[in-house]
Amino acid sequence: MNRALPEMSNTAENCVDTLTVLERQRARFKWQQDQLLYQQQQLQSFNGMMDYGAGFPPSDHLTGFPGFMSAAGAGGDGGLSLVEMVMGAVKPDPGLEDGWSDPSLLLNPPTAYELNSSLSRTSSCPPAVNPAAAAGRESFKKRKAEKVQNPINNKEKRIKASSEEEKEEEEEEELSKTTDQNSTKNNNSTITTTTNNNRETSADTSKASEVKKPDYIHVRARRGQATDSHSLAERARREKISERMKYLQDLVPGCNKITGKAGMLDEIINYVQSLQRQVEFLSMKLAAVNPRLDFNVDDLFLKEVFPPPCTTANFAAIGGISSEITDPSSYFQFNRNNQQIVPCCGLEMGINTSDVALRRTISAPVSFPENFLDSSCLTQFQGSSGWDVDLQNLYNVGFDQGRSSNAFSSQPYTGSMEGSNLKMEM
Amino acid sequence: MRNPSSLKRDFLKKWLMGLQIYTTTNRNMTVADRKRAIKLSADIALASSRNCATRWSRAVIAGTSVHDGSFLVANGLLGRAVCERIKQSSSKITRSSWSSGKILKRSRRVGRRKKCRKPAAEWIARRLVQKRTRTLRGLVPGGEFMDEVSLIEETLDYILALQTQVDVMRCLATTAYVAPPSL
Repeated sequence: MNRALPEMSNTAENCVDTLTVLERQRARFKWQQDQLLYQQQQLQSFNGMMDYGAGFPPSDHLTGFPGFMSAAGAGGDGGLSLVEMVMGAVKPDPGLEDGWSDPSLLLNPPTAYELNSSLSRTSSCPPAVNPAAAAGRESFKKRKAEKVQNPINNKEKRIKASSEEEKEEEEEEELSKTTDQNSTKNNNSTITTTTNNNRETSADTSKASEVKKPDYIHVRARRGQATDSHSLAERARREKISERMKYLQDLVPGCNKITGKAGMLDEIINYVQSLQRQVEFLSMKLAAVNPRLDFNVDDLFLKEVFPPPCTTANFAAIGGISSEITDPSSYFQFNRNNQQIVPCCGLEMGINTSDVALRRTISAPVSFPENFLDSSCLTQFQGSSGWDVDLQNLYNVGFDQGRSSNAFSSQPYTGSMEGSNLKMEM
Repeated sequence: MRNPSSLKRDFLKKWLMGLQIYTTTNRNMTVADRKRAIKLSADIALASSRNCATRWSRAVIAGTSVHDGSFLVANGLLGRAVCERIKQSSSKITRSSWSSGKILKRSRRVGRRKKCRKPAAEWIARRLVQKRTRTLRGLVPGGEFMDEVSLIEETLDYILALQTQVDVMRCLATTAYVAPPSL
């Protein structure tokens, strides 16, 4: 089914993307039947060529196929271009395989699988190639293409006919179909006798895994995804992680615009580190402020900070006073202090109004640059009077820096970090 | 999730209690001592205000030691029985998962040799994520022994708790600053 998609887009309507899987299956089936009819016509007219095509040994496709094509092409005019075309159709195959090769790899040995897929692809591709070819050479090329196609598709048809009742499947059973197909492709190789068993067992296993699946984890394998229990569990785990990461993205400021897990983790790490540093710094600050370590303010503090409405008014009043003060020399210290209070005031207002607002207000003032703490540690052992002023200077400067720079410069910063890491990895 | 303001109040109360326990144990401290006392008591208060329901808080409690006095604070805030139980269980967990972690590491190293043939970009991206995850493990307390899903959950919770802590501490710091000039 997957394999049929590229040529489907050429033969069927262009709206393949919007079709459901069932519709795709039906369309493909129709297309194959058309092909069969066409091939039968071709069969009658080109018996000799057919024999040659049937004689083509299917077991060593990769080596035998190009040689065969060139041998066939040597007879006719457009042979060379045809070979190129078909080879062009073969080449993209490995890239296509990557996305969905898992289930079939589980069922078939990989080497045999690759051979099969390359063969079946070439067998189904030429109709897609043909319309693009020149009008004069068209019939000749078709002939050759069908020649390769015929023995394969006939066999395929036989098996398809036997399993036709299974073809009326819903979307959920698409996996069994893919395995079905794989085994039919398997038929094309030398193991024609054992394929029926093979197909049944593979279908059985896939169905069994699908029956088991919805009991525990509600993960559905989309087209081309693996369905064994390990990869299902892995996918469930990954979904869980990405969900949590989304929450984290909401929580960590400046993480919204970052895509990619590494960048997000970077941002989260930075944020946690900044918070931890802030705790360090604040504890240092508190230790420097009151030498006796008794916060007698606790009752007062609890009253002042937490009960809501009066405090905000109080803070606002102080802010108003500080803005009215015009003489900077005498009230310098006081003014500073009030500047510090203002963000705090906003924070408390946020708490009182709603939780959403809280998150916003928290996220704004929290981040500090790295040098902040270091410089404060350096100034730690200066005299206590100068220490306060220094700290406050640092606090204000650092605060402004953190506010202005963190919003804008975090993105390039992480980018450069990744770049350096990348270099290191290389 | 609890109401953040109630969480704050809880944290503040416990923090001040922890500080009182500290100050009763030793009287004269240098600035560094005081700083450490404040930090430790704040951490323990944070962990205990989360009721030890999360792994990181249990790791913080389990990380308390007797000789720097933090164990006393934890005992005072949580009760002796709870602390002992947490310590025992966490030591069991860490020991068992440490050994399995070693085995895992070894097997991963074997697997990595095979993966070298994979496409380079994918490999690098995975390595980058692994590296950051390891760093994050080092940051979140107790994160060394978590799987990735629970690590991210715990990080979520830890960030919220840290935000609370920082807010309360900043408020206290600002009021402590305001107090001297107004007096």
